[in-house]
Amino acid sequence: MTPLEPRGPVIAEGSPLGSLVTLPGAGGEVSETVTVHRSQWELFRRRFMRHRMALISIGVLVLLFVLCFGADIFAPYEATRTGVPQDLLLGPVGPSGAHWFGTDELGRDVLSRILYAGQISLKIGLAVALLSTLVGTVVGAVAGYMGRAVDQGLMRLTDLFLIVPQIAILAIALRVFGYKDITVILVLAGVFWMYEARVVRGQILSLKEKEFIEAARASGASSTRIVVKHLLPNVIGPIMVNATLSVALAIITESTLSFLGFGVQPPKTSWGNMLSNAAGYVGTPRAYLLYFPGLAILLTVLAVNYLGDGLRDAFDPQSSH
Amino acid sequence: MLTYVARRVLYSIPVLLVASFLLFVFVRATFDPTVKLRASRDPQAVQRERERLGLDKPVPEQFVKWLGDFVQGDFGHSERTRESVSTMIVRALGYTVQLIFWGVVVSAIIAIAIGVYSASRQYSKLDYTFTGLAFLGLAMPPFWFGLLAMQLLSSGPKQWFGLSEPIFPTIGLHSPGESGINLDYLRHLVLPVMTLTVQIIASWSRYQRASMLDVMSSDYIRTARAKGVPQRRVVFKHGLRNALIPLVTVMSLDIGAVFGGLIITEKIFSVPGMGRLFFDSLLYGDIITLEAWFVVSALFIILFNLIADVLYGVLDPRVRLA
Amino acid sequence: MRARQITRVVAACAIATVVGAISIFPANAAVRRQGGGGGDIVIGAEQEGDCADWISSCAGSSWQIWIMGQHTMPRTFDFVPKSKTSIVYERNVLLASEPTVEEEGGKTVITYEINPDAVWSDGEPITSHDFFYTWDQIVNGEDIYDPTGYIDIESVDDSDPAVAVVTFSTPYSGWRSLFGGQYGIYPSHILEGQDRNAATVNGYDWSGGPYIADWQKGVSVTLTPNPNWYGDPVKNDSVTFQFLTDTAAEFQAFTSGQVDAIYPQPQPDVIEQIEAGIEGANSYFTPYTPNAEALWINNAAFPFDSVKVRQAFAYSIDRDVVVERLFGGLGITEALNTINPPITAEFADTEAFSKYTLNLKKVKQLMTSDGWEKNADGFWEKDGEQADIVIQSTEGNARRALTEEILQELLGNAGFNLTIENHSAGDLFGQNLPNGDFQVGLYAQVATQLEPGNCSIFCSYNIPTEDNEFSGQNWTRTDLPQIDPLLETVGSSSDSDEVAAANKKADKISAKFLISLPLDPLPNISLWSKDIKGINKKAPDSGVFALFWNLAEWTKS
Repeated sequence: MTPLEPRGPVIAEGSPLGSLVTLPGAGGEVSETVTVHRSQWELFRRRFMRHRMALISIGVLVLLFVLCFGADIFAPYEATRTGVPQDLLLGPVGPSGAHWFGTDELGRDVLSRILYAGQISLKIGLAVALLSTLVGTVVGAVAGYMGRAVDQGLMRLTDLFLIVPQIAILAIALRVFGYKDITVILVLAGVFWMYEARVVRGQILSLKEKEFIEAARASGASSTRIVVKHLLPNVIGPIMVNATLSVALAIITESTLSFLGFGVQPPKTSWGNMLSNAAGYVGTPRAYLLYFPGLAILLTVLAVNYLGDGLRDAFDPQSSH
Repeated sequence: MLTYVARRVLYSIPVLLVASFLLFVFVRATFDPTVKLRASRDPQAVQRERERLGLDKPVPEQFVKWLGDFVQGDFGHSERTRESVSTMIVRALGYTVQLIFWGVVVSAIIAIAIGVYSASRQYSKLDYTFTGLAFLGLAMPPFWFGLLAMQLLSSGPKQWFGLSEPIFPTIGLHSPGESGINLDYLRHLVLPVMTLTVQIIASWSRYQRASMLDVMSSDYIRTARAKGVPQRRVVFKHGLRNALIPLVTVMSLDIGAVFGGLIITEKIFSVPGMGRLFFDSLLYGDIITLEAWFVVSALFIILFNLIADVLYGVLDPRVRLA
Repeated sequence: MRARQITRVVAACAIATVVGAISIFPANAAVRRQGGGGGDIVIGAEQEGDCADWISSCAGSSWQIWIMGQHTMPRTFDFVPKSKTSIVYERNVLLASEPTVEEEGGKTVITYEINPDAVWSDGEPITSHDFFYTWDQIVNGEDIYDPTGYIDIESVDDSDPAVAVVTFSTPYSGWRSLFGGQYGIYPSHILEGQDRNAATVNGYDWSGGPYIADWQKGVSVTLTPNPNWYGDPVKNDSVTFQFLTDTAAEFQAFTSGQVDAIYPQPQPDVIEQIEAGIEGANSYFTPYTPNAEALWINNAAFPFDSVKVRQAFAYSIDRDVVVERLFGGLGITEALNTINPPITAEFADTEAFSKYTLNLKKVKQLMTSDGWEKNADGFWEKDGEQADIVIQSTEGNARRALTEEILQELLGNAGFNLTIENHSAGDLFGQNLPNGDFQVGLYAQVATQLEPGNCSIFCSYNIPTEDNEFSGQNWTRTDLPQIDPLLETVGSSSDSDEVAAANKKADKISAKFLISLPLDPLPNISLWSKDIKGINKKAPDSGVFALFWNLAEWTKS
C-alpha cells in the first residue's frame, strides 16, 4: 500500500479534484460479477427510471443541448453584432421583453450569447469527458489486467499529480499552449484521464481474480477477449458514472480557469468566459450579466450530477444512496 | 504506528524527488527568465543573468544544483521582487495555513454533523434539504459563489440596513492595526473560508452520510442495538467512529484541491497567501518562485496526507498492525 | 481505544494547530506615532509594486511610488493640480528658493538652494551630496529603470552642502522632474558604501518626506507622520494603503466602507458603479491625465509596413464610439487626437488625428489602391495573403478586453480579421513589444513629467535592434527621418514656444503616416468618502502623483 493511494473501504479515487463531484458509490465494489446480459439492462433501466431527479435531469440536458447547438435557430439574436457603431453605443440594458436576459456591454443579447457560449462550454465538457474516459479506460484496463510495469507506472504517475494543485498545472499549461477551446480540451483531458484510469484499474483488479474470469481464461480466451468481453462490461457502470461527472467537473474547471484569465478568447466565448467578464459587476445594476451565465453553469452541472447519481444507483443498487 | 508512519515518509521522498524534477523541467521549459532583461540598457545583462541562474548548463545539472540549495533552505531570489523566495513563501504560508486550517476544521465539523444527522434521519425533510444543498454546492463555480457571497453577505446588508461597516469584511484577514485571534479576525475569516469550503463541505457531507449509513446497517451495530445500547451511544460511539475512516481518506485526497481553491479565494478576498503568490509569479513568469512554490505545495500536501495517515491509524487499529 | 484516545489525539492536534496559528501571526509592530489628530485613513491600492527601489528596473509600478515613494523621498518639485485642465510644477519645501538656470559656455547650470531646515527622519540634514549620490546611482548604477535626463548631467557640485550645482552637458527640457519626479533624492549618509538596491528593495524605514512608510508585503503600506518633517505639519494620524488586487473586491471594499478612498482604473464595472451612484462618496473623473492609450502599430510588420494599410485601418474604426462606449458613463465621449498625453496638451496638436473617423469608402479606396481585394470571406487579401491582424494587450484587464471586442466587430465590418492575443505585462513589455513580435498593441504610454518628449519612442535610432540588445524603446519601429530632429528639439529646448512648435509638427507627421492610432486619455477616477476632508473637489488629481499628492492634508471625521 502506498501512502497516497486511497485506503479503506468504498472510496472513489476517480476525481481529479479529489472527492469533489465524485460522490460515494462511484468506484465502489462491483456488486454483480456475472457477465452482463439483457435482463440486467432491463433491471438497470427500471432502477434508473425510479430516480426522479435523474429523469428530470435528462430532460433538462436534452433541452440545453438542443437549444445551444440549435442556437442558429433558437437564439433570438445573432451571437455578434455586425459592427454597426450605433448598436455598440446602446450598451448594456437590463432584462426586458425584447431581451429576456438583457444585453451586454456591446449591446448583444445575453440569452443568445449564453446559447452560443453553451456550445463551447458543453463541447469542452463532453470532449474532455469522452477523451479522458477513452484514454483512461484503455490505460486503466491494461494496467489492471496486465499489472506490474504498466500498473506501477500509472499509480506512480497519478501519485505525482495528487500532490500538486491541479489548477496550478492547468493554468501554466494553458498559458503555454494558448487559450483556444481545443487546447482547453486537451489540457483538461490530459490531466483527467489519469483518474479515470485509476478507477478502471481498481475495478479490473478486484474482478480479475473472480471465478468467471478464471473460467474464461481456462477455456482459452485471449487476454484481449477477456478484457473486452468479460471485464469491461462489468465495469461499465463506474466508467459511465465517472464520465458523466467529468463533464460537470470540466465545465466548472473551465470556468475557474477563465476567471483567472486562462480561458478561450473572444469572439469565442464560454459560460466561464462570460462570467469572468462580468465578475466586476457584482453589486451593480449590471449584476444580471453575472447571474445568467452562472445559472447556466449551475443548471448544467446540477443536471449532470443528478444524472450521474441516477446512473450510479441504477448500476449499483447496493450503493447506500 | 511509528514504523507505519516511517514507511509513509520513506515512500514520500522518491515521489517528491521525481515530482520536483518534473516540475522543475516543466517550469524551466515554460518560461525564459531572461526575457525581461531584453529591454535593459545593459547589453551584457542577459548573458550575465543566464550564467547567474546557471541556464547555460544542462537541465539535470541545474536541477541537482537547485535541489542542493533547496534542501539547505536556499530557494533563490525572486525575479519579480528581488526578495529571498524562502521569505516570500514563509510569509505566504503564514496566511495560507490559517485559511486551510480553518477551512478543514469548519468543513470537517459541518460535514460530519450533516452526515451524521442525514444518516440517522434518512429520508427526512432535512436530509433531502441537505442533499439538495450539497448538489447545489457542487454545481457552483467557487469564484461565482465568492462574488455572490461578497455582495449578499457583505456590501449588501451594509447598504440595506445602513450599517456603518459590513458584518463580514472582504479584505485580508485583519483590519488595519489589528492582529491576533479576535473578533475582527473571525469576521474576516467568514467569507474566504466559506468560498474555500463550499464544495468541500458539500462533498464531505455526502461521504459522511454514505459511510454512516453503511456502518449503521452493519452487523455489529445491529448487535449493539439488540443488546439495548442507547441510540445516542450507538450513533456516536460505534457508528461515527467507524464512519470517520473513509472521510479521513477523502480529506487527505482533497487537500490538493483545497490548495488549488486558494488561488481563487485569495484573489477575491485580497489575502496574500500561496494562491496569490502563485498567481503573481505566474503572470510575471517568475520561475525561481514558481519552482519553489510547487515543491513547497507538494511538501505541504504530503504533510497533510501524513497527518491523515496518523489519524487513520488512530481510527483503524488494523492499519497499525499491518 | 477508544473514545478517550481519540479525544486526546484530536485535542493535541487542535492545540498544536492553534498554537501554530497564533505563533505565525506577525506581532503588531506598528507603534502609533503622534500624528495631527486627523484620524486614521484607509485607502485601497489596486496594485502592489514589486519593490521599493525607485530607480531600479523593478520599480515599474506607479502605485508603489504613489503610496510609498512620493511620501518618503525628498524632491525638488511637486505636481500640483490647479484646475480641471491645469497641473503645474510647484517648488517643494526642500528648496529654499526657486532654482536658478544659467547658460554657461553652451552648458546649462542649475543651482538648487536647499532649505536649511530640511532633514532626514534621523535628524541629519539633507545636503547637496544627496543630490550627487542620487545622480551617481542613476547614472552609474546597475539595472536602472530609466536614466533619461540624468545622463545629460555632466556634474553635480556638492562643495557647499546647502547648495547643489548641477551642470548639464546637453540641455534637458524636463529638468524639473529630476531630483524628484518618480525617483526623489536618496540619503547618501545612510546608503553610501552600501548596496542601495538591497537596502531599499523591500522597503526602508528612513524618510525625507512627511511620512515614514511601513510596507507589510501583500497586505498594506502604512504611513505614519515623520517626526522630523520640515514642511507643513501632517494633519492625520496615519494613512494605510490596503492592497486590493481584484477590481470587483476593490469596489466592494469602497462601497462597504472598508476603505475611505480608491483611485481605480477606468474599468467598465467601475464606471457602471459610478453611473449607478454611490452613497456618501465624492467622485472626480478627468480626461486630463498623463496617459495616452493608443493602438501602437508595428510599422515594420505585415500588413502595417504599408502606410495605406495603416491609414485604412484607422478609417475602419469609429474611435469616438469606442471612447463613448468605454467612458461615456463619465461624460467622456471624444477620442484622443494626439499621440501626446493630455497633460502636455499645450505642446501638442490636439486635432492631428481627428480626420481619422469611420469611413469605409476611404478604406476601400486606400486598400484597392494598395493592391488589396476582398476575398470570399469578406476580408482584404493581397497576393494570396489575407490582412489578418493580431492585437496584443495586457491580460486580465476588462476594459482592454472590451476595447478589443469592439475593435473586432468594427474591423471585421471593414474587412480586417482581428484576432485577440493577450499576454502578461511582463511578456508584453519585456518581450513581444521590444522584439517586434506584434502587429498592434493596445496599451498606454504614461508621462512622468509635464513636458512632452517622444524621441525615445519614435526616433528612428531608438528602434530596438540586435545591435543595441533591444534597448531602444521605439517599439513601433517608426522610421521617419523627418521626425527625429523635431523630437530632439522637443527634448532639449528650454524655449517652450520652440518645444510646442516642434512637437505640433511631429504630431502632424505622426498622423500623416499614421505611425500609431491614439484612442483615449484613459481617464483617471478618484473616489473618496464624504468623511475625508482636505481634498480639493475641483482639482484633486495631480496626474503624475495621482490623488495622493497632498495626503498630509487629509483628515477623517
